[in-house]
Amino acid sequence: MSMKEIRSEITGFVWKIVKSAGDAVGEDDALMILESMKMEIPVTPEASGKIAEIRVRESEAVTQGQVLAVIEA
Amino acid sequence: MSWLPEAEEIARRRTLAEACGGPEAIEKQHQADKLTIRERIDRLMDAKSFREVGKLAGKAIYENGALKAFEPAPYVMGLGKIDGRPVAIGGEDYTIRAGTGFGSERRKGGQGGFVEDLAYEYRIPLVNLIDGTGGTVNTVKRKGYTVVPGYGQDGFERSAQLMGIVPVVSAVMGTVAGGPAGRALLAHWTIMVRGTSQIFAAGPPVVERAFGTKLHKEELGGAAVAADTAGTIENVAADEEDCFRQIRRFLSFMPTNVYEMAPVVRVDDPVDRMEEGLLSIVPRSDRQAYNMRKLISMVVDRDSAFEIQASFGKAAITTLARLDGYPVGIVASNPMTGGIVDVKAARKQSHFIELCDSFNIPLLFLVDVPGLLIGPESEAQAIMRAGIVQRYVLGQVEVPVFTLLVRKCYGVAGGSTIDRKGLNFKIAWPSAHWGSLPIEGGVKAAYRNEIANAPDPAKREAEIEAELRSLASPFRTAEAFAVEDLIDPRETRPYLCQFMEAMQPRLRTQLGPRMKAGVRP
Repeated sequence: MSMKEIRSEITGFVWKIVKSAGDAVGEDDALMILESMKMEIPVTPEASGKIAEIRVRESEAVTQGQVLAVIEA
Repeated sequence: MSWLPEAEEIARRRTLAEACGGPEAIEKQHQADKLTIRERIDRLMDAKSFREVGKLAGKAIYENGALKAFEPAPYVMGLGKIDGRPVAIGGEDYTIRAGTGFGSERRKGGQGGFVEDLAYEYRIPLVNLIDGTGGTVNTVKRKGYTVVPGYGQDGFERSAQLMGIVPVVSAVMGTVAGGPAGRALLAHWTIMVRGTSQIFAAGPPVVERAFGTKLHKEELGGAAVAADTAGTIENVAADEEDCFRQIRRFLSFMPTNVYEMAPVVRVDDPVDRMEEGLLSIVPRSDRQAYNMRKLISMVVDRDSAFEIQASFGKAAITTLARLDGYPVGIVASNPMTGGIVDVKAARKQSHFIELCDSFNIPLLFLVDVPGLLIGPESEAQAIMRAGIVQRYVLGQVEVPVFTLLVRKCYGVAGGSTIDRKGLNFKIAWPSAHWGSLPIEGGVKAAYRNEIANAPDPAKREAEIEAELRSLASPFRTAEAFAVEDLIDPRETRPYLCQFMEAMQPRLRTQLGPRMKAGVRP
């Protein structure tokens, strides 16, 4: 069990947060959906585990590389 | 009377050479999660296939006419096989003075040298396992004079020459700077090991002297910088074993030289496999992303995809794969970042296109690109120039190009996925749409006056957009034969496989080095 930081691949906004801290997630499950350049971009953990922390809010601007959530994988 | 004593002496010296830099130096290498050059060659090559050349080269110390001590040359090289095919291989022995040169009559390798001459003369691939820090000021004391850089038996001439003739692979397997760093990059494909390898022009001590900043070597030239951020190195291995696996994988797609066809490798995967998933993988909403790598896996031969440079320029996906056993180079948009081509993605695609064309590997574009990345940051990086270089490079290829329009195809970036010089063969999925620029942006610009003069400008703009959209159906373009075919996505694999087979006769007529003229923009 290790903490894995989920970082944003793009610069944009947090459009929808679909999971909460404590939820179990599979590697392909979207934690949240970002919006950038008119695209809805799902954020997936690429490792299954439990969400330890969601570090952003809906409508918040995010930059590439920013930590969005932390997973206990 | 025979020559047995000498044969035994040769055997003895070979054993001495196998000691590398001695047990302590070897242990230190292992402690750093690194193998010795001899171990690396052994793991990478086909079992028992390595024939070392120049094993007796090194510094001998004699006492009373007999050999007292022997320090092997800090470079090991020779001929071996990978997947049954001959390969020239060499690498620095870091356990001997960090792999720095020892001033032999003829260089073994590392920068030109016998092993590179071997690759050239026999027209066989070259693999460099790089683990050396390059030039050192110690040389001045040893020689008693300074030398102009580029002095010596070999510069990079042979390395550059090889680039048009045989596949050259460089694996950065330790801390690599200066000359060896330069050597690493004169390759068709490069890989480094995350955590145990770094590459930079000059290392932390030199950087500290110049700038006063103290950086750890990982910060300056580890995989996060060299591969993920800068794209200096293409692939990243999790560890040395993964590195060897990837090298073998890469070479399996390449011909032995440009005069031969790349190997055809068939697996148990029917050509007429029609995946239901292809019918629904592209969302009906243009705004929603989907997994292009998954799409690729449903089309190409099972498990045949080998991605190049995954961690850099993520707006594009460049993958070697097979269709009906035939190698193909796939350039795909990545919808996860909107498929918008930024400078990094343009650079990555240009290199990959040229790599495939040089080795006579056809190209398949999987297109979902709305355009080049606009905006001040992108302009500051010369996006249009990077974008047009890709167009230029594609315009020079001699391999057949297949364009599969998956979704968006707009603008200069969209046009750069099409091979106008060749067959100009575009097939589309029903989800595809295209144009010079997307309708939303285009209407405001083209109908500005009409919209401004209308009683309800917003309504008029919406009306014009709706009208243009009704004409934008791919069916209409197909009726005009302005796109060569509109297909059921499930047919993609059998459709492509049939054309891949049919293009092989063309590939056989154009073996040899690519002759190109012109200056890249």
